[in-house]
Amino acid sequence: MVSNLMLRDGEVSSGGLTVDYGCGVRVLEGEKTGYAYSESTDMRSLLEAARAAGAIAGKDSFASLGMTKKGLEMTNKLSSRPSNRGPRQLQIGGVKQASGEIPNFYPMQRDWRTCNPADFVEGLHKLESLIRAKDSRVAKVIALLGYSVSEILMYNSLDELTSDLRPMASLSVQVVYQSKGSVQTKSASRSFRMGVEFFTDELINEVATEATAGIDAMFEARRPAGGQMSVVMGAGASGILLHEAMGHAFEADFNRKGQSIFAGKIGQQICRKGINIVDDGTLPFFRGSCNFDDEGVPGQKTYMVTDGVLTSYLHDRISANYYGVAPTGNGRRESFRYNPIPRMRSTYMENGADGTVEDLIKMAGNGIYVDEFANGEVKIGEGDFTFYVKSGFLIEDGRLTMPVKDINIIGNGPQALSDIVAVAGDLKVDPGRWTCGKGQSAPVSCGIPSVLINNLTVGGGQ
Amino acid sequence: MIENYELELARLAMDIAAQEGAQKCRVCLSKSVSDIFSTLDGEIDKVSHCMDRGLSLTLFVDGRFGTFSTNQLDEASLRDFVRKAVNMTRILATDQLRDLPDPARCCTKAGSGDELGLYDPAYAKVSADQRSAMALQAAVTGRIPDTPAYKLISEEGEYSDSEFDAVTLDSGGLFCRHKETSFEYGVEVTVEAPDGSKYSGFWWESSPRLDGLRTDEVGRKAVARAAAQIGSQPFPGGKYTMVVDTDVASRLVTPVLNALGGYSLQQGNSFMNGTLGQQVFGESVTIIDDCHIAGQSGSRLFDSEGVATAPGPVIENGVVKEYFINTYISRKMEIAPTIEDCTRAHLLPFGGVSDREAILRKCGEGILVTGFNGGNCNSATGDFSYGIEGFRFENGKIVSPVSGMLITGNFRELWKNLIAAGDDARPCMAKLIPTLAFTNVDFNG
Repeated sequence: MVSNLMLRDGEVSSGGLTVDYGCGVRVLEGEKTGYAYSESTDMRSLLEAARAAGAIAGKDSFASLGMTKKGLEMTNKLSSRPSNRGPRQLQIGGVKQASGEIPNFYPMQRDWRTCNPADFVEGLHKLESLIRAKDSRVAKVIALLGYSVSEILMYNSLDELTSDLRPMASLSVQVVYQSKGSVQTKSASRSFRMGVEFFTDELINEVATEATAGIDAMFEARRPAGGQMSVVMGAGASGILLHEAMGHAFEADFNRKGQSIFAGKIGQQICRKGINIVDDGTLPFFRGSCNFDDEGVPGQKTYMVTDGVLTSYLHDRISANYYGVAPTGNGRRESFRYNPIPRMRSTYMENGADGTVEDLIKMAGNGIYVDEFANGEVKIGEGDFTFYVKSGFLIEDGRLTMPVKDINIIGNGPQALSDIVAVAGDLKVDPGRWTCGKGQSAPVSCGIPSVLINNLTVGGGQ
Repeated sequence: MIENYELELARLAMDIAAQEGAQKCRVCLSKSVSDIFSTLDGEIDKVSHCMDRGLSLTLFVDGRFGTFSTNQLDEASLRDFVRKAVNMTRILATDQLRDLPDPARCCTKAGSGDELGLYDPAYAKVSADQRSAMALQAAVTGRIPDTPAYKLISEEGEYSDSEFDAVTLDSGGLFCRHKETSFEYGVEVTVEAPDGSKYSGFWWESSPRLDGLRTDEVGRKAVARAAAQIGSQPFPGGKYTMVVDTDVASRLVTPVLNALGGYSLQQGNSFMNGTLGQQVFGESVTIIDDCHIAGQSGSRLFDSEGVATAPGPVIENGVVKEYFINTYISRKMEIAPTIEDCTRAHLLPFGGVSDREAILRKCGEGILVTGFNGGNCNSATGDFSYGIEGFRFENGKIVSPVSGMLITGNFRELWKNLIAAGDDARPCMAKLIPTLAFTNVDFNG
């Protein structure tokens, strides 16, 4: 169940509701995958999907089952409803679990399915009022509240039966500012795996404050001269560069196929000592958190880089089997329409010991400070990336000076990682509405402490 | 594909909406099936079978408006869903500008769904064995020898076909149907140079008809594209003539079309605001909405409101001829409605050159862009900055690969500097944009 309410031109005059229901069947033959799904869970539809997925095994492996005892057992299991109490490990190796309770990283205090959408209209109006009160240059405000609840039930041939209830809530706003014939836009968002308790006055204030911050700098910003220079990445949202330019190359499917720049480099020093990079499914309420991944593997925290050494890829069950390691809980998918593949969850770098962001700016001397990126792209094989700078400043003589705009930072992921010369102690995991696209979308979180990178190319004017 | 009982479900949804108090409504019922056979290094790696059926509902209730969708289409679930949808619409603010389109503007010629010849009956006869064979036959692993310059590290191929059928009805009597089939093969390869550096290449072909799909050269083209990038590096920054390959040229057209969209214009967030009827670009620029080409994917007889599409100019000799204005935005902006979006943009040839090689010869020297990597366009100002890769060319010939560079500029200025447009747009692409050439483009890296 997905629902949304939109404020535009001062009115909450559009909204919607989507119901999506179905079951996916995956069949593995070694590392080969057969996948099919059905939008109905009657036995005939399930068997049809199973036969299609089973074709990968080279024989009509499910056709012979018919309505056998095994099939009826499966039906009974699948007809049980997912638990409304949160994650449950109902059965392991065919043995039913007494309570089945496991840690819940996103308990809902109040379920979105029990709410009245009318209760949220006032909050959206309040958000617009706050934004308009903070800046007289506001011309247009579009605000969107979206929320969803997914009920998940998973069963596999290891006789494991798991259940999860996944809420998601997002508040986003886009503001158009006009001043002296010039137009600027600013966006802000918050998104967490939470129930109705997500939508508070405090949250609305936070979003309004972020949507109106730095507007003077946006109007004053200029495109600077480009070139190779030191770059200080601010804590928090800059973590998207870590996700795109490095994180994808840690995903085990790219490495299993030899495509990643990090293929065959487990155990090697890939960046300076002291740097730890983590993919974490256990951060309470964050978008990337998973009680279970979509293969029924419990949520966990995975160190990809420990003290500068590449220690693990991000695995689903297929790649884990290939590498002879335990799955890391990264087998994720967009919905029952997709087979799980290795995906990031909340990806971040742990704190360093090189002081504060101000210290890093002083160390840089001259260069650029960036606190918000957008529209990043990376080529997994080459490791080359380009990121658009949404917000940043020139660094001159160790201090921030002119705000900059309309520039990109380009580089190579592994090279940039090895060019990190300082990491501050101000880690922030960004609370924004990040979604990763890898053929199918998945909610993620990203974060980073402030870091200083030498020798990135900044593309600006001549 | 959509059966009569499913059409009755769509009509039932409208009836329930009316019973629950909706004055007007629109229903779109869509159904699709697709099969995907993926290969890894010349062997079948993944097989997927996908079946989707969904119903979307647009409601107009007491001057209020809401959009809803579900894939649970048994009658009891549908009744419950429509009841909830009507109730949710009632909590929204009134917006008297929302309405169905004028029936006089709606499509009346899409009764069978196959008026544009996009449905191939051969689809129904394709077997799983044939799909598997086509995927395997197209793979090049083991068929292309490694060279001293590179070896093939990985090949991921994907044959897919699909069948799509959608019907749009509204309470004003609209009935429009669109059916199409699609057959595609794409491949992504990674090659490794002797120094261990890796380069990727991609190519694909698609056709709405099985006999129109050509897979034999796809893998070789992908390998050639990857290998051509070996040793790429930035070229010194400066102002150069830029030639943009037809495969990626739509990247420079999409922001302009987006800026002509009603929502951007109405929100004051468009760099094309106030340009209707104005000479904004050079006379070399003519883009038409070529929406009725029979047998080409992307052609459509109606938009999402059911409004009839019509071929016509969007930009003509540099003059803006059309904004994309749906019923709602038309009322908000108090201008005449047109169509929801540009259905199939087609940039017409200019400069007497037909293809990439002819354009390179005409331009002499500059940078050929064959790929974009990240970047952004400021929708309010048109300022852009994109990462690029491609080749340096001199005397009309490619001399060295280029990567790690950016182009920067403003779209309104860039399109004043179009000096050539070929006639080589690929029919399988969503937009028909040929190879383009621009002067005085800022490159840095």
